[in-house]
Amino acid sequence: MAEQPYIGRKEKAPDRVAFVSGRAHFSSDFAFEGQLHAHIIRSPHAAAKIRSVDLSGALKVSGVKIAIDGAGAAEHLDPIPHHIDPIVFGGRTTDLFCLAQDHTRYFGEPVAVVVATDKRTAQYAASRVVVDYEPTASVTDADLALKDDAPLVVLGWDDNSIMQVPFCGGDAEAAFKDADHIVKTQVRVHRQATQPIETRTYNAIWDEGGQSITLYASAQNPHPMRFALAKTLRMPENRLRVIAPSMGGAFGLKMHSHPEEALICLLAKLTKGAVKWTENREECLLIGGREQTHDIEFALREDGRILAIRDHFLANAGAPGATPGWGMAFLTGLTMPGPYDVGNLDVWANIVVTNKPPWSACRGFGKEITALALELCMDKAARELGLDPVEIRNRNFISSNDFPKKTATGLIYDSGDYAGALAKTVESIGYYDVKRNQEKWRGEGKYIGVGLGYEVTPEGGALPGTMVAGYDTSTVKVDPGGSVTILTGVTDPGGGNRIGIAQIVADELGVAIEAIRVLQGDTQTCPYGFGNYSGRSLIVGGGSAALAAQDIKEKIVKVAAALMEVEEGSIKIYRGVVTSSAKPESELSFNEVCYAAYTRAYDVAACIEQPLEATRTFKPGLISHLPDEQGKINPYPSYSNAAYAAVCEIDPGTGVVKLLKFAVTHDCGKAINPVLVEGQACGAVAFGIGGMMGEEIVFDEGGRQKTRNFEDYVMPRAADVPEIVMKHHDSPNPVTFMGLKGAGEAGVGGSAAAVVNAVNDALAHLGVEINDLPVTAPRIWSAIQKAQSAQKAAES
Amino acid sequence: MSEIHEILEETAFLQCKVNGVSFEEEIHPSMSLLDLLREELKLTGTHMGCMTGHCGACTVSVDGRIIKSCITPAASVQRKKVITIEGLAGADDSLHPVQEAFCEASGFQCGYCAPGMVFSTVELLNEHPDPSDAQIRKALTGNLCRCTGYQSIVRSVRQAANQKTASGDHSE
Repeated sequence: MAEQPYIGRKEKAPDRVAFVSGRAHFSSDFAFEGQLHAHIIRSPHAAAKIRSVDLSGALKVSGVKIAIDGAGAAEHLDPIPHHIDPIVFGGRTTDLFCLAQDHTRYFGEPVAVVVATDKRTAQYAASRVVVDYEPTASVTDADLALKDDAPLVVLGWDDNSIMQVPFCGGDAEAAFKDADHIVKTQVRVHRQATQPIETRTYNAIWDEGGQSITLYASAQNPHPMRFALAKTLRMPENRLRVIAPSMGGAFGLKMHSHPEEALICLLAKLTKGAVKWTENREECLLIGGREQTHDIEFALREDGRILAIRDHFLANAGAPGATPGWGMAFLTGLTMPGPYDVGNLDVWANIVVTNKPPWSACRGFGKEITALALELCMDKAARELGLDPVEIRNRNFISSNDFPKKTATGLIYDSGDYAGALAKTVESIGYYDVKRNQEKWRGEGKYIGVGLGYEVTPEGGALPGTMVAGYDTSTVKVDPGGSVTILTGVTDPGGGNRIGIAQIVADELGVAIEAIRVLQGDTQTCPYGFGNYSGRSLIVGGGSAALAAQDIKEKIVKVAAALMEVEEGSIKIYRGVVTSSAKPESELSFNEVCYAAYTRAYDVAACIEQPLEATRTFKPGLISHLPDEQGKINPYPSYSNAAYAAVCEIDPGTGVVKLLKFAVTHDCGKAINPVLVEGQACGAVAFGIGGMMGEEIVFDEGGRQKTRNFEDYVMPRAADVPEIVMKHHDSPNPVTFMGLKGAGEAGVGGSAAAVVNAVNDALAHLGVEINDLPVTAPRIWSAIQKAQSAQKAAES
Repeated sequence: MSEIHEILEETAFLQCKVNGVSFEEEIHPSMSLLDLLREELKLTGTHMGCMTGHCGACTVSVDGRIIKSCITPAASVQRKKVITIEGLAGADDSLHPVQEAFCEASGFQCGYCAPGMVFSTVELLNEHPDPSDAQIRKALTGNLCRCTGYQSIVRSVRQAANQKTASGDHSE
């Protein structure tokens, strides 16, 4: 085992100065010679026939280079390949195009596009495009979309369901019959959106000589995006290069198969120039997710042990889209029953299409909704059975002795100590202090509550037959001068995984971290890779870079041993200094050995094959795509998990919630860099808090989206988030490099559940329970009013 | 046949200083200061996040006060001094103490909001050299961050304040 001066340390980003001085380059910062700008015309209707599109007014504007509509684009473009085609999972599919043709299925659907010499001209010219729409009946509510007389979102389908899929195991029906108690609730999760502060940009440059396109893109998955672009553009992948520069946050939004990607490439090809499009915030807010309604029931024994869970849920996935959005609802079902040891499951997902804009991936990828549904029902069970919320969870957690644990849906959890993590969070938040003082505070008119949430987040996923792969690849190169370059297939969405990968390689090679440069996000220079999603980047990016570094280290050790005339086993490399226990008096620098490796290939370095470069793939174990006897697979190698707790105070006069405290205990396996882990965890907590307290995408009766900017979509600001008390509770994963579990995705659902449970705890004395989310002030206020008038009525 | 549209041809003469360099040119009267900085002057460290003044990624300093450049017409900075993130460092490229603190305390993840956060911190520390946590969080209220949960940003501001207090430097 190499010595580890860097792993586990709070190492800082080597390029940090660029980010605080304005020198880092994001996709929208690039401008090329003759740069053109695109403006997209979008549907103002949730559903309409498109009778005609008249581009002539736009084409007359001086400075306009091209304007096309759906029919024009279809001459050059094939349908966009689905990131995850529902048909692979037995669902319904449909062809999806970059621009709508005969009809539009959602408000904001791209209908036409104008390209001009500058943004203002493009925007002005776009206003002169005349589209003749004939609005048709639309449906935005998932319940209504399933009625017999509902308008069909996709013409030709029998109904509005992508698929109905069971996640069942054991004998739930018998368990419900035998139960002492049945606890039911409806958890309604509203539509939310990821909203990185950097929106998407695509800037495509046509090269006439090479008949090729270079695309600068806010792209989490450059290689798979290139595959999709090639299909849509009818070009081979080797004529396309995707470059993903620094990314200003992604959270799933920048996974590929958005309609604008191939469209902008086509426009570059047709104008033989450089065409850029930057999404505005209103456009970005169209892309949503998370909207689900769960009718969840627990069958319980007297002592609070859960015998079975039934949950038939509806997901409102919006109109069909080619991004992987719809798959989130599948994962919600698959992740049941979370951290709990419940073998009898009757869970059904009905994934419904409506005339809302399509879902795209949202951090948590559906697994956060599993946590919300389970944790809200768990607190209801605690209230109804008169049990403490800590106690009822402890009675149902999978025991730390039971790993690896196969769940009723076929997942195989690698490791964990859920009760241990919860105990740490309970201590951090001062849980029993709140419980002890709650009555006294209520007497003083203060409504203070404490809530818990637990989340198990499968990470590093691999779905068979899709571009969601479980493995990834890195190349490590060491130059004659001793500098180290890592080229990796995983991208950095902005969380800083490049720092963690550099730490791992620095320790494997025994060099100073300053000698290392990590390059990511370029299909021409990086090995084929799948990019960033599913908390995978350090598991597979770090794991593959470690393997490649080990290969190179072996060569360097051989050369060093030859140079020093000692046994290989006596060589040690530490922070760039090579020593041998056989000759303690002499030492070499790492750089000298590298120089010899390249320049003395016929004497001392004859023992190795030059150059000092290696490409390796890390393919984590535990993933199983061979169905078991019940037809179930395990698509994940790793199951990170965490315990969350919130303390809130509610102003009874206004319903305004103030979060007083927040605590997390996180199990991401080995923490390569505690600052990165803290950053991921705290960021996810802010997502959970924001999602429950302010963020909500709403539509009018005609299906037009009303949420258009950050005044409507209220994300948490610095004063809304309390200091988060963060603890680690590592239980290493036996099948990944160094026991990594992934730290990027967990936390949205557990923290959201903690907030809602804290609100309901604060209001418990009034008999108020709000599981219809979000828990915004108006909802809380009216629930308090209702409860108080009911109390008064009862008293009089 | 392409038509010339007068609305696109209008101009206004703007004279201002950006990071100490004079700017004197005809611009479109509706151009935002953000577009002037990014598109005309190629100062891409000022970022577009919303174009409605809500996110603060475009924050710059005009005559010593921070503003949101996306909702500030470029024509309104007539004869004023604009400082962007590229101009905040010293002439010798040494970082401003607030930039230094954001580096040292890892005050950003993706870094897209960082320039705006730095400007809001500079203004806060000019007014309150030793701010309370509540003052820090209030001062950052105009700047959205989606990555950090604000934890590391608040820590960076605190570090900047500590350095400032320790060095006795109360000037900008």
